[in-house]
Amino acid sequence: MFKELDPILHSQLRLAVMSLLISLKEAEFTFIKEKTNASAGNLSVQVQKLKEVGYIDVIKQFKDNYPQTTCKITTKGIEAFDAYVKALQEYLKV
Amino acid sequence: MPNEKQLSEKESLQLITDMIEKVKNSYHDKGVGSLLWGTVVAIASFVSYLQLEYDFQLPFDIWMIVMAAIIPQIILIIQDAKTQKIKRHEDAALNAVWLVYAITIFGLSFFQLTVPNSVERLMHSNGLQLINHSINNSRPDQIIRPFPPSFYSLYILIYGFPTLATGIIIKFWPMIIGAIMSYLLFMVSCFTETKYDFLLGGIAALACWFIPGIILRLKYLKQKQAHV
Repeated sequence: MFKELDPILHSQLRLAVMSLLISLKEAEFTFIKEKTNASAGNLSVQVQKLKEVGYIDVIKQFKDNYPQTTCKITTKGIEAFDAYVKALQEYLKV
Repeated sequence: MPNEKQLSEKESLQLITDMIEKVKNSYHDKGVGSLLWGTVVAIASFVSYLQLEYDFQLPFDIWMIVMAAIIPQIILIIQDAKTQKIKRHEDAALNAVWLVYAITIFGLSFFQLTVPNSVERLMHSNGLQLINHSINNSRPDQIIRPFPPSFYSLYILIYGFPTLATGIIIKFWPMIIGAIMSYLLFMVSCFTETKYDFLLGGIAALACWFIPGIILRLKYLKQKQAHV
């Protein structure tokens, strides 16, 4: 019996965000936007969803008088990502 | 990128791989720090060797250029902090390694400057002094000041430590090779005269920082060109 894939992660943009953050300590919103080629609005919505389920932390602060949003994966997010990859590997028998 | 597109399992795995690869390609050490320290330490070491070999003195202590290099290094750190959009997990480890290295080097310099005076004072208080005595009496005895013999060997040994740690953490072979060379040069320097220790130290600085710095710089420029 295959495990059900986490519906939060099984969407293109959210998975892309999590895949970027998994190998980093933290990343600025602009960096994520640049790497995913997503629009700011789209990305904001998906980042908010990931934050709501506790997969990422979003830190809003000012840097050189400009607002700066930084995203950071949480322990819960790492566990969810790990489980998602394992489930994928089961499906694909990698 | 559409937000809610449902992916097949294969597409998901491919997306994860692509994103991880994008992160890898987005961070590049500019190599400026390595080049800076490799240059100043190599120059100071080689000039120290030349001063001893050809018996001349510059009007200033050549090692002051190493102290002066701290200023551009601080500017580089501030510039990097301003422009960097990501923080890697290994950044904290690398910063810790280089901080410990800097403290060790300052500690060693402090030891080198203070211990001879302390030893001399202690010896005097016990009514003793160091004398250079020729075993075949070919030269008259000469009073000398205490000094740590072949001290620069210890610097060569310490040059290898942060370089090896950095090389292993960032998986950068030129630094690992540079550090191994530094350890070998340290061993050689234990058997050579002080003036040659400086020569070996200069080579260690080139191997540990200057050459890896050039390689990092070339990689960075190549990557930058590819993104234009």
